[in-house]
Amino acid sequence: MKLTRILGLAATAAIAASACSGAAASPSAAPASQAAASQPAASSGTGAASAYTPPTDGGAAKGKTIAIVSKGEQHAFWQAVKKGALDEAAKLGVNVTYQGPANETMVNDQLQMLQNALTNNPAAVCFAALDSKAAGDLLNQAKSKNIPVVGFDSGVDSTIPVTTVATDNIAAAGLAAKKLAALIGDSGKVAVIVHDQTSQTGITRRDGFVAEMKNHPNIQIVSIQYGAGDHQKSADLAKGIMTANPDLKGFFGANEGSIDGVLDALKETGNTGKIVAVGYDSGQQQLDAINSGAEAGAITQNPIGIGAKCVDAAVDAVNGKTLPKTIDTGFFWYDKTNINNPEIQAVLYK
Amino acid sequence: MGELLVEMTGISKSFPGVHALDDAQFELRAGEVHALVGENGAGKSTLMKVLCGIYARDAGVIRVKGVEAYPATPKAAQDLGIAIIHQELNLMGHLTVAQNIFIGREPHRGLLLDEKALNRKATELFEELHILLDPRVRVSRLAVAQQQMVEIAKAFSYNSDVLIMDEPTAALTDTEIDELFRITRTLRDRGHGIVHISHRLEELRQISDRVTVMRDGRYINTVVTAETNIQQIISMMVGRTIFEAAPELPEDPSQEVVLEVRNLNRGRQVRDVSFQLRRGEILGVAGLVGAGRTEVMRAVFAADKPESGQVLINGQPVAIKNPGDAVRHGIAYLSEDRKRYGLALGMDVELNIVLASMRRFMSRFGWMHARAARAQALKLVETLAIKTPGIGQRVKNLSGGNQQKVVIAKWLTADTDILIFDEPTRGIDVGAKSEIYRLLNDLARRGKAVIMISSELPEILRMSHRILVMCEGRITGELSAAEATQERIMTLATQRQSVATAGPETSTAMSVGAN
Amino acid sequence: MQTTTASTSRIRTLATGESVQRLLALGALVILLVFFSIIAPNFATLENYRNILTATASNGLLATGVTFAIITGGIDLSIGTGTAFTSVAMGIVAVNWGLPLPLGLLAGLASGGLVGLINGTLIAKAKLPPFIATLGMLYVTLGMAQVLSDVHPIYFTDPQPALQDFFMGKPIAGIPNIVWVMFGGAAVAWVLLNKTVLGRYTFAIGSNEEATRLSGVNVDRWKIAVYVVGGVFVGLAGIVLAARSASAQPSQGMGYELNAIAAAVIGGTSLAGGEGSIVGTLIGAFLISTLGTGLSVDNVPQQFQYVITGLVVIGAVWLDIFRRRSRA
Repeated sequence: MKLTRILGLAATAAIAASACSGAAASPSAAPASQAAASQPAASSGTGAASAYTPPTDGGAAKGKTIAIVSKGEQHAFWQAVKKGALDEAAKLGVNVTYQGPANETMVNDQLQMLQNALTNNPAAVCFAALDSKAAGDLLNQAKSKNIPVVGFDSGVDSTIPVTTVATDNIAAAGLAAKKLAALIGDSGKVAVIVHDQTSQTGITRRDGFVAEMKNHPNIQIVSIQYGAGDHQKSADLAKGIMTANPDLKGFFGANEGSIDGVLDALKETGNTGKIVAVGYDSGQQQLDAINSGAEAGAITQNPIGIGAKCVDAAVDAVNGKTLPKTIDTGFFWYDKTNINNPEIQAVLYK
Repeated sequence: MGELLVEMTGISKSFPGVHALDDAQFELRAGEVHALVGENGAGKSTLMKVLCGIYARDAGVIRVKGVEAYPATPKAAQDLGIAIIHQELNLMGHLTVAQNIFIGREPHRGLLLDEKALNRKATELFEELHILLDPRVRVSRLAVAQQQMVEIAKAFSYNSDVLIMDEPTAALTDTEIDELFRITRTLRDRGHGIVHISHRLEELRQISDRVTVMRDGRYINTVVTAETNIQQIISMMVGRTIFEAAPELPEDPSQEVVLEVRNLNRGRQVRDVSFQLRRGEILGVAGLVGAGRTEVMRAVFAADKPESGQVLINGQPVAIKNPGDAVRHGIAYLSEDRKRYGLALGMDVELNIVLASMRRFMSRFGWMHARAARAQALKLVETLAIKTPGIGQRVKNLSGGNQQKVVIAKWLTADTDILIFDEPTRGIDVGAKSEIYRLLNDLARRGKAVIMISSELPEILRMSHRILVMCEGRITGELSAAEATQERIMTLATQRQSVATAGPETSTAMSVGAN
Repeated sequence: MQTTTASTSRIRTLATGESVQRLLALGALVILLVFFSIIAPNFATLENYRNILTATASNGLLATGVTFAIITGGIDLSIGTGTAFTSVAMGIVAVNWGLPLPLGLLAGLASGGLVGLINGTLIAKAKLPPFIATLGMLYVTLGMAQVLSDVHPIYFTDPQPALQDFFMGKPIAGIPNIVWVMFGGAAVAWVLLNKTVLGRYTFAIGSNEEATRLSGVNVDRWKIAVYVVGGVFVGLAGIVLAARSASAQPSQGMGYELNAIAAAVIGGTSLAGGEGSIVGTLIGAFLISTLGTGLSVDNVPQQFQYVITGLVVIGAVWLDIFRRRSRA
């Protein structure tokens, strides 16, 4: 499932982001100020202001319905997206309907849901496409009915959506780099394990990390390896890197499988706690490692923010406001110190 | 009578463990109805199935119109002009009459079926045979007799010279039988050869020109119907079998009646049945297959709900609404199909033995009193000499005889007073049979009341203190052990209602013979 | 002998059997339509009725195809994931190989027929129970679709825009052509089932397979034919699905078979064999999509939609059993 999606996204040059396991990039480098501003316990990226200011009032959209068609309804991640959307809708005085297929292979079922949503003539539609290229026909339908479409999570390969609400992976990976740099005293050798070099999430997280490290001249990235997100393979790669670089000081794992592999490798070679590990997303093994101190910390996306922002964007679209091409939904850095904060707990999954 | 259509000589056929046909022979001529009779298992149906390509013969010669021919499939037999109408009708209930008759030979125009032509052809066929049937009706909506007409019309439509009817009258009423015979005669008069397999000896005079008698898979004799009588045929059917020892225990009329059944009715198979069963006796129930013996007992046991009638236990009327009630009143029914109804085959001997009396071996909270159950199982395995490696053995790994003993052990554990055995020795080898007989006698001696349904006359004669004979759902007679002979039982067992107008009490072998 | 006149028998046929089930299903459909029109504000619109038709297209085709197998007393579980296989086959021919679209469509139908041929051969010749044979093929078709496509969706958008342009085009009454494909397919199926030898033997086998065999009908061959027909309908459904998403999705279809079987059963097709009709199946398919669309337009959360759809299937089969029992 995950593989399909990642490969599917890779085929497009468009914005892509992902739910729980991997995230993709938005070309804009908008930092995660929202996260920083609203969650003092969380640290954010560069600290610069976001280009997007959410509405404080429903305006003309008040009492109208916004239809959200997401990628799922059952997973914790999507439940969090739903909660974010519903809370924001209540705040702005709009109605929201939320639907998603049972799993992420059900492309046609999702299209039928979008079709049903359009039939209801909502004020706006938020759509997280399972396959960003498959919905062209329906998007044209939305356009002809003058229903604005907000893409979210992974965006839509089309010019029709008024904006795309997604995690800024470049900025998020940059924050991971900054944290890692600080943890190793801003000098020394680090290595990166990425899930793959073809998917948008793989490329943007890698590039975001590398770009930030350029600001730290005393840090040398000795190796970037690709482990297909597989624990075993990522662990083998990490061990190889450690053998070649006995003085290695830090690792960055760009998704859950990659960092889990790094953690395994550290444990097997007795380097746990000696080499700093920084990860992405969550998952039981990673959460345990952060709690025990084996992993210094990780980046997590903000599903509640994704839900809230796509409602915000939809309301703005209804009110005729001009929207930026992409809207960053924020992300969090979490470590031992803030992992138990409710805001962080809300966006983690096991 | 016309040309020789079929000639079968020296036909033998074995199935694993059974010699079904042994040097059997048969011939059929054009323009005759040739009846084939014999007891259950005499080999009539097997012989005809060999002719129809359903079974392959082991030895023997078959000539069809003088040419050696051994059809390997029903289709091949059909091509030779031989058609069979099975006892279980072979129709497609969801299709219409016409669709059934011409299945595989549908008229069509281009790629599409021509339903009009189909119905027209069926109508023409029915006109030719003087059958009144709507070709467009679904077969599942027809009565059995009408379905049989469809089968006959279908067989006729293949231009079959040879038409074999296996027990065609078994499920029909008298008027329906008249209609069947009328059509049969029509076909005969047109020069078809018809084989009529039947148990109903009195109908032979009505319909058949010749009769061939079989016994134990062997050919006995062929006679011209007009020159013989039913008594002769019966004696050919049963032969002069030398009986084994007479019943071990004499009937003791002084014993109290434990079970009495009054005017029990259920459909066509149980008609106004009344009888008594005494403590310590073995009551044999004889009759041909389909006479309603099993149905009567199932109705008593409430495995099937009777329509009317009364059951008294120890003189008290009781309401038996389901088999559970029957067991509570001390009645056990040991089905002829042990594997389907009598045993939990995948479970071990111990569990099967205590299965019908679980309550005794359970504590209040559903725990099994393992030790008590074990002790009971071990005791019965020893008493009944059940050959098993242990009480943990799965029942399906035991021989037929030992399985039967496990069933008996089950009901002994349940401590029932009335035991109804339905074909207790079916599928059991000779050695084990005598052990079962010994067990039944033992049970009777210990004061249990036993009913034994059996299709094997020697077994009935050897075991029973008293014999009920059934035919067509009625009890046609009761014989004491002293008066019973194979011939008398056979006579009563074939005594159809239309013949026995005087009722069971006065109907004797004589009245049938005089018919 | 009892005689039955043609007219009374026809009345009896109308008043009993699967036609009653069909009428019940039709009644339920009408009731649902009326019900949703009242409670859901946007339901009673032309657009929504078109939407229901569109939503029925793929399931209607799958259900029509599987009706044949069910009437023979069999089942075909491979039809759902079969659509992944057939649409990938289409994509390979029309996109990867760059051949003309009609050849791609033909490849879709042929690959469906091939799956049917394998199903039928496993069932008729290797004597596998239909449930097992087609369960196996469920996984085989899904796996093959993923192997052949390397688990990438194949997009028709660029090289073959005509696929979506044509099949999702709405030249008549604003209804997309996939709906007319469904009706056309159903019409062909109706003729096959009611007017040809294939249909006759389909019923005959389901009614009494042994009797059909004893009547000299080559039962094995016709059984295979029945599964091939079902497979071709899988190919049609694959075209419809590919047209909707302008892509061949190699992981699609798991669970579609159950929707299709539910539609057939609601429409009066008996899982015991011998009974069924294309009209009933279509009504069943419409009932399912009306339910889905109606509940969705009325904003009933999905979890309740599952519950309600399940209850409808149970209710339909229960009615079927009840009817049978009262007739016996």
